[in-house]
This record gives sequence, C-alpha cells and structure tokens, in this order.
Amino acid sequence: MSSTTFTLPIGPLHVALEEPMYFDIQVEGETVRAVELAAGHVHRGMEALAMQRNYFQNVTLTERVCSLCSNSHPATYCMAVENLSGIVVPERAKYLRVIADEVKRIASHLFNVGIMAHLTGFDSLFMHAMEIREIMQDAKEGVYGNRMNLGQCTIGGCRRDIDDSTAPFLLGQLELLKPQLDELYGVFERDPLIRTRTRGIGILSAEEAKRHAVVGPVARASGVAYDIRRKAPYAVYADLDFEVQADTKGDVHSRALLRLREAVQSVKIIEQCLRQIPDGPICIKAIPEIPPGESVARSEAPRGEVFYYLRSDGTNTPQRLKWRVPTYMNWEALQVMLASCQVADIALIVNSIDPCISCTER
Amino acid sequence: MNEIVKQSVETAVSQVLGAGGMTWTSDVNGNSFGWVTLCDPKVLLLVAPALAESGARLMTVTAYRNDKFGRIEGREIAYHFDLDGVVVTVSVCLPDDPPRVPSITPWFKNADWNEREFAELYGIVLEDHPNPRRLFLDQSLDAAILDRLVPLSTMMNGASTSTLWEKVFAGKQLPEWTKGENN
Repeated sequence: MSSTTFTLPIGPLHVALEEPMYFDIQVEGETVRAVELAAGHVHRGMEALAMQRNYFQNVTLTERVCSLCSNSHPATYCMAVENLSGIVVPERAKYLRVIADEVKRIASHLFNVGIMAHLTGFDSLFMHAMEIREIMQDAKEGVYGNRMNLGQCTIGGCRRDIDDSTAPFLLGQLELLKPQLDELYGVFERDPLIRTRTRGIGILSAEEAKRHAVVGPVARASGVAYDIRRKAPYAVYADLDFEVQADTKGDVHSRALLRLREAVQSVKIIEQCLRQIPDGPICIKAIPEIPPGESVARSEAPRGEVFYYLRSDGTNTPQRLKWRVPTYMNWEALQVMLASCQVADIALIVNSIDPCISCTER
Repeated sequence: MNEIVKQSVETAVSQVLGAGGMTWTSDVNGNSFGWVTLCDPKVLLLVAPALAESGARLMTVTAYRNDKFGRIEGREIAYHFDLDGVVVTVSVCLPDDPPRVPSITPWFKNADWNEREFAELYGIVLEDHPNPRRLFLDQSLDAAILDRLVPLSTMMNGASTSTLWEKVFAGKQLPEWTKGENN
C-alpha cells in the first residue's frame, strides 16, 4: 500500500447498510481503488436445518430465507419437490402462484428504488415511493392476511384462494397503483438530483455481467436480457403477455428505472391472471410420495434467478436441499461496479444490486 | 430453442466422455434438464472448459454426503450449469480421502464463492483455487460443519456464564458443576 492510499472499513454494521456486510475499501483521496468483501456475519445454517425437517415443514422454512422474495423461495422449493415426485399442480393454483410472485415483485422493487432515493438525500421521494409501496402492502394484507410472508405456496398448489371479495379488492389496489407508478417513473427518469447522483456510476458492462454470471435486473440493465419467466417458463408465464425489460447502460440509474418498468409489467401480469384464472381446485388432495432421486427448479425472483436443487433418499426429509439466491453472484460484480467510484457513491452502488444478505448467507 | 441448445451440450459433453454420457429429463412445462455423472474428479478439468466453450453459465454448486447421516462414507458435488434456459447438472464423485476436487474458477469466475463455501462446510480440499480463503465461516471455527451430525441435545447444551448460576443460587453454596471448564 502506498502512502497515498488508505483503508476505509465499511461495515459489518453501518448506517448505509440494512444488513451486515464488511467492505474493506482502499481509497486514494475520494476515489475507490480496490474492494474486498467479507461475508458470514449472519450465517444461519438454514440448509443444514432443511435436511432435518420434513418436506412440508421446509415450505415454511424456505419462506423465511428472505423477506422481500419470500414467495419466490417456497414456490421454487415446491416446484423442485413437484418435479421430483411428478405432481401436477392444478391450473388455478399456478395462476395464484404467479399473482403472489408479482405482487411481491412490485413491493420489492418499490422498496429498492425508495432506498435509492433516500441514499441520494432525496428523502421526500423515498417517503413517496414507500407510500406507493404501501398500496401493495395493503393488497397483501387484504388478500393474504400478511404484509410480508404470504404463506401462499404449499406442495401441490396454494393455500389461499382469491375469491369474489379479494379479486376486486386487488384490482382496485392496482388501479390506485398504476397512475402513481407512472408518475414515480417520471420523477426517477427526469429529476435532476436523481440523474446527477445516479447516472454513469456503478457501471457494469455486458462482458463483465456475463463473466460474473450476474442475474436479474443487474444483468438485464447491462444488456443481458435473461429472464427465467421467458427462458424457462414455469407456472403459467408461457400464456401471459409481458415484456422482458432490458437496457444497455448498466449504471445505477438504469437499474432503478428497469425495476420500475418491471413493476409496471407486473401490474399487467396480475391483471391478466385475474382475467384468465380458471375455476377449479387450488391444491391437490393427496399427500404426495417423494421418491428417491434429484431435481432442480428455477424461478425469477425480484432480484433475479432463484435456483433450487433437491436430493431425496426416499425418507420424509431431504437428503440435501440447496438453493442459490440471485444476490450471491451479484456481490462479486460490485468489485467492478465500485472500481474508481467516489466514496460518497459506495452506498448507492451497493444498493443498486438490491443486495440481500440474509439470502446470501442463509 | 431447447433442442439446439441440447444438441450443443451433447456435442460438448460427448467430446470428453464419448456418446451416451448424458441423460435428459423434462418438467411439465417442457423445460429440459441434462444430467451427467463423473466418477473421476479429474475429468472435471476436461468437462468444465468444454461447457465454458459452449457458453454455459455456472448457476451454483451443491456438495453433499452420499448418506446424510454418514452411515456410508462418501461425498459428491453437483455443478449446475445453465445454457440459455437448459439446466445441466454435472455430478462428481469424490473417491479420495480426504475428498479432493479441482477448482473450476479459471473457467467460471463465479465458481470462486461456491467452491470456498463447500470447502468450508464439507471439508473438501480444493486444488488450484486462486483464492482459497474462508467465505462465511471465521477461521476460528472448525471446517466441515455440514459434514457432521450434531444431535439436537448437543446443540442445545450451550455454554453459560457463572454469573447466571450465581443469580440462580443466590445466597446458597454454588454446586461444583456450575464452575465447569466451559463456564
């Protein structure tokens, strides 16, 4: 280390971080020269726990991997179990799963862009974004009874139906949301403060995005238009009309705008689902047999691809259950995004990958 | 699309393993899953570059014991790749003791964290890893945590300070066991 560089430790507990992660940052003046990450401060050993619980208990456990993607985890876990044991989920349940996933996506994306506004110092916009998000929080509470963990998925279907009272309520919430989401997009797109603070920083090129194998909005904003909902469709996504959002700028601003556009697409998806959803059962009746073997399943969580690998030895607990969350690879790409940035932008750039530490460390 | 990708993976794998080294399954949505088993970890050094060449993306790596409770010895590692929507899982047996596996980080940058994670959780020795530090677990903790069966009774037998027992036995003689080494 030369005499002109200094080490700036950020974390594991820091005002700009929601969760504990340690950044060892070499700075020269105000410019970042090198970044090292140290993880593991909240390692919970959930994969070891999953091997000691039965298949149904693991639905509840996986819902607690991450609060913001809390529907994607049990949904993907259930898909892995269903792939292994050949369970066919009723059509209505597939629609219900998509609705739950997309409701969570809107809330998650609004949370992230809200925090971005907060980190730029634009706190009134942060509160406005959180207020808009509240529309979806109310929708979750009204339809599912919970504001974060919906408890919607189970092996072979869903637990809670959307009926004649909750469907109009959900549609009403979407009607409330739509004009406000459009307005919010306009502010994030055109506001001079947001533009000055977020454009051209934290750049990740398409080559680097591929090299680091990043996923989700981080990849799509860098020109890697990969979305599991289109590349490997699950549930009823193949029958739904929506556009995969992509951009080529790969900076903090483009990632935030992309998330807002995805939220708009999610509204469109939920409306289609509520129109197209067929009548019928929402769950299989029988308790399924889980044969020995292995299976994988994937879904597109708000932060990107969630991957589950299940290995069964034929007993009622998994031999091994492994999941890979979208943030896992996105951390390392921060070394590229933070290169030569200003110290003041570190928190903004870290937030732009929508990091989830409880996910990463499980 | 699936078929073109499947063909290119088959070609890449068969160049290394010969024809018939791969099996396919699919789900109700028509997504394809390829499965390959390697009995020699060294073959991974041939398969990894072939997959990287065909544009595969490493999704994650799963290490596991052949028997969860360790009644039968042996560990395996499953490498999960994505090729434009097709998932290919390459399972590798680890016959050595202690188990050893070559690193694939030279071809897949994001293998770095995955490999360090299974090395520390399962005590698997990584060969030629560019950055073989601990990932999540502190150096002071034993490796191979997930490799061991820790009975719940042991796990809950947590250490406690003597302060607690001094309060519990306030005004009385402290029993000898409260002054144990772990307190």
